[in-house]
Amino acid sequence: MAILPTQLARVSNSLRNNVATQTLARTQQSLLEVQNQLATGKQISTPSDDPGAAAIIQQLRKTLEQRQAYSANLQQATDHLSEVDSTLGDLTDLLRQASSIASANVGSDVTPGERQAAATIVQALYNQVLSLGNKQYQGAYLFAGDRSTEAPFIEEAGGIRFAGSDRALANSYDQSTVLPFMVNGAELFGAVSARVQGGVDLAPALTGSTRVADLAGARNSGVNLGPIQLGNGSVAATVDLTGADRVDDILDRINAAGVGGIVASMNSAGGITLSGAAGDNITVREIGGGTTAGDLGILRPVGTGAGAPLAGASAKPRVTELTPLSALNGGAGFDAASGMVITNGQSRATVRFNAAITVGDAINAINGADLGVRAEINAAGTGVNIVNTTEGASMTIAENGGTTATNLGVRSFGPNTPLAELNAAKGVRTVAAADLRIVRSDASSFEVDIDGLNTVQDVINAINAASGGAGITASFATAGNAILLTDTAGGVASPKVLAVNFSEAARDLGLYGPAVGTLVTGADVNAVRADGIFSHLAALRNALQTGDAKTITEASEGLDDDVARITRVRGQTGARVQEFESRQSRIEDQNLATKSLLSNLEDVDYTAAISKFQTLQTTLQASLQSAGTMMRLSLMDFLG
Amino acid sequence: MSLIGALNVGRTALATHQAALQVTGNNIANAGNADYARQTSQMQPISGRQIKPGVFLGGGVDLTAVQRQVDEALAGRLRASVSDQSGAATAEQWLGRVEAVFNELGDQDLSTQMSAFFNAWSDLANRPQDASLRQVVMQSGSTLAKWFRDVRSDLGHLQIDADTQLQSLTANADRLAQRVADLNQQIVVAEGGTGGMANGLRDQRDTALKQLSELIDIKTVADGGLTNVYVGSEPLVIGVTSRGVALKQETVNGALTSTVVFKSNNGAIKLTGGSLGALNQVRSEDLGGVIDQVDSFAHSLIFELNKVHSSGQGAEGFTGATSTNALNDATAALTDPSAGMKFSPVNGSFVVHVKDKQTGLVSSTLVQVDLDGRNGNDTSLSDLATSMNSISGLSAQVSAGKLTISAAGNNVEFGFSQDSSGVLAGLGVNTYFSGADARDIDLNSALRDHPMLLAAAKNGQPADNQTALAIAAMQTTAMGSLQGRTLNESYQSVIDSLAGKTSAAKSDAEASRVVLETLQAQRESLSGVSLDEEAVNMIKQQRAFQGAARLVAAVDELMKQVLQLV
Repeated sequence: MAILPTQLARVSNSLRNNVATQTLARTQQSLLEVQNQLATGKQISTPSDDPGAAAIIQQLRKTLEQRQAYSANLQQATDHLSEVDSTLGDLTDLLRQASSIASANVGSDVTPGERQAAATIVQALYNQVLSLGNKQYQGAYLFAGDRSTEAPFIEEAGGIRFAGSDRALANSYDQSTVLPFMVNGAELFGAVSARVQGGVDLAPALTGSTRVADLAGARNSGVNLGPIQLGNGSVAATVDLTGADRVDDILDRINAAGVGGIVASMNSAGGITLSGAAGDNITVREIGGGTTAGDLGILRPVGTGAGAPLAGASAKPRVTELTPLSALNGGAGFDAASGMVITNGQSRATVRFNAAITVGDAINAINGADLGVRAEINAAGTGVNIVNTTEGASMTIAENGGTTATNLGVRSFGPNTPLAELNAAKGVRTVAAADLRIVRSDASSFEVDIDGLNTVQDVINAINAASGGAGITASFATAGNAILLTDTAGGVASPKVLAVNFSEAARDLGLYGPAVGTLVTGADVNAVRADGIFSHLAALRNALQTGDAKTITEASEGLDDDVARITRVRGQTGARVQEFESRQSRIEDQNLATKSLLSNLEDVDYTAAISKFQTLQTTLQASLQSAGTMMRLSLMDFLG
Repeated sequence: MSLIGALNVGRTALATHQAALQVTGNNIANAGNADYARQTSQMQPISGRQIKPGVFLGGGVDLTAVQRQVDEALAGRLRASVSDQSGAATAEQWLGRVEAVFNELGDQDLSTQMSAFFNAWSDLANRPQDASLRQVVMQSGSTLAKWFRDVRSDLGHLQIDADTQLQSLTANADRLAQRVADLNQQIVVAEGGTGGMANGLRDQRDTALKQLSELIDIKTVADGGLTNVYVGSEPLVIGVTSRGVALKQETVNGALTSTVVFKSNNGAIKLTGGSLGALNQVRSEDLGGVIDQVDSFAHSLIFELNKVHSSGQGAEGFTGATSTNALNDATAALTDPSAGMKFSPVNGSFVVHVKDKQTGLVSSTLVQVDLDGRNGNDTSLSDLATSMNSISGLSAQVSAGKLTISAAGNNVEFGFSQDSSGVLAGLGVNTYFSGADARDIDLNSALRDHPMLLAAAKNGQPADNQTALAIAAMQTTAMGSLQGRTLNESYQSVIDSLAGKTSAAKSDAEASRVVLETLQAQRESLSGVSLDEEAVNMIKQQRAFQGAARLVAAVDELMKQVLQLV
């Protein structure tokens, strides 16, 4: 509204017209605004109406839109896990049935015919469990992890092979929460519980093309690249390592800095060595709170001394599929030529790595042998695991005359195997007194006490000690997995191993077979076996067919373990469903609060708007009336 | 002392009041003319004769001037205010149009599309194996890209509209400046040094000046009958010559720029107000700025999303791939400007996986992308093709600036992962979006043809969802290329700054309108015609005329009497 000076000397007609038109125009504009607000119900129609409020409105809307996604994810997770829960319920019922069939058929009063009938029922149960294991939900196999496009449980000659993945998918449920919404099928069915864990740290050496991202870092917290300060006692330079992708890049930049005669190279420990000219007293410091030098293992704030090289600690390169086999074991490589013998159930193959260049190639060689085993790099990136994916089949990994399996850390049974792990972790059963007697070919004998020994090598040492170096030498096979007893007594009889004091140790160590010539070859007593629901059901079915009461009982016990495990997983699933549901209801509560806030900001206050509308109407009417009256008045009317 | 003298007095009175009545009539006639300045008649008694020592008789009345009632200082302020108001109104109108393009706070806007897009990825993470969700992700990406293009093209059209408007306003300003110069000349000729005022011509010049001030913020300096016009400190009209106003349009870096210049020497006119100044400012800075922001936002979205996507794997591998972005020079290092990369890769590497479909075995090879600017061996597109060509099972070559990779044999497929260099995203291999900014952003056509190539996985498993998860999280992840802001925040800041500017323009327009109306009221108070006043004047002049006529009649009577004496 124009500010009119009150002391206007005269009021011309155009002034009066202008004031009237401006007033009317403005009132009508305001009326239009209020009318628009009333019609749309919105207080703000474009951001410029109120930029501050508009920014908050957009933020709140964005939050609501994001929560839509989180809410959908929660719904999906709840649905998925509910489906899992009901499947687990069905599974438990089936296994309980199997278990009760087992207990009903143990006794001697059951006829073979009845057992055969029971076996048929167990077979039917087996088929039902298999179909539950391969259950699909929304086009995805429930228990296949991130391989849910294909059925996870495949029937093969040796049993059931798990073709799924044990990595469960996760999704985000708010900005900072990522939770898995699947269950691990492999663990649930006991399908791949058995694996040969890479026993040794393969400790690959650095190579020029090792990626910085693949370094675990000297302090196991990765490598955060930034600038470091490199000095030689007299000059210091900042070397910016930001953006270096490979070890070569790091070496290159340090060398290019040209501090004294300092040259960087890779050392066999997996670290970086800085060596200088005669007078260089090498120092490496962090800059600005960085951790680069420490992560690379070359932090040395106090000089190494004139001319002394700085041998950095290992930057701990991880084993990746790209790691060259030659870099393994600190650059010593491994015995690629001999190969190793993998047996799984009825399958057996000698895997050789002559053509393999990288760890990925080696893994392909193992996986490509079609043995129902899967090789993979362990989660820590320190070694290779070989997983037996075929339920009910036993897997062994042995040397083929060389050190391949040992080098890779995957020999399933070796001198370093703890006794407690043998025989599917049942260990070696010993008695307080001597456990076994070894009879030489000349019929002389000695006794060995296994008690208190830890590893297979300890047993070998104990035998050799007891033998006193005469007549019998114990050793571990270089081809195959067995304890060997070599007889040099020169007698005519075959050497043999006898159990004494009712000890089971000889059997548990695999030393029960007859000698061949002068050599007693033990059995591999550390076969890796994936025992789970399917193998237990299969064992029960077979035992019912043959009437093997002991196996029936064992299978029944196994099934009880399975039921316990499923119940535990089901409990966890239930807890997770509950968590998802409570998150869902929290989101709904939050949405309600957000929406009411949003409404406060953007929705029109009808009472205020309507009363404003009425006031403006009155104003308009008054303006029209006064303008009409005033404009009609003219002195001209009075001129005669 | 004579009767003739008295008759003469009557004659002057008759003539003067007749003229005054005409002035009043003219005022009444122009009562509805907004640019008219009311005129008043200036009268003066005619000095008489001394009939005897010490006694003077008046000689009647004379019209000395017809005066325009104007205040030049007020007129100057009014013109400045007209400039301000018309500039602010233009800015308000144009910024409002820019704001309307985004239609934020509406139910359908770009930010809603972005949410829908990222939500689709989030949903894909729930069921990565689901082909229909892949379609949803592609559809929403396609829609988002179309929104970007539409917004960008609407902004482009606004710019073209603004250019057209600028041209017409410039032509108008030029015409008005010329008119002021012409009127200057006519006024000087008409007034001819008489000291009088050619009121009608001056009114016309004032009108021209007012119209000119709506376009350009002018200053005027009166020089006798002439009015000189200045823009800032530069003269536009000096005396009877106008320097002229023109629009110079040039293409700089592929974008059309417009500058308002003097016709006489092509020198830029420094405009700060008026609708021409405001429009010029909106076009080049506000509209241009918003277009740049939208383009750079789209650029970042494309590159950042493609970086994540190009390190992921689809439900199926590639049997062949061709980069979407052609390079100008395949032998130049990728960071060299002559290579023509639209996105800047960095020193890094990526892994190529070659899968034998029969055995299911995957062999992986590291491809180095050396871009550290050292040793003169930085990677070029050809180098990249050479190193990929050496991978068993693949062949790669460059043709027409594009990298083509193909699998050798029917049983081989390939994929990519762990690209730390951004080179795949930069070249357009295994990418989600094609294009480089808001003008040409689109869903990569390779994906449209083969939806299974959409990368949801990161570890190569067919039903993995880690890439989908990472992309869904992108909208709330701070990014270096967006100065540490998230995509949401970055877009929000475009809208917020536009809203702030538009809102400021609105209140500027409102404030300057109040000032203008106030000044106009003052002007109308002084120069406007009041019919009542004119009616009073008319009666006054009528009566005066009647009186004078009576005087003549009386003198005539007297003269008759005198003549009868003869």
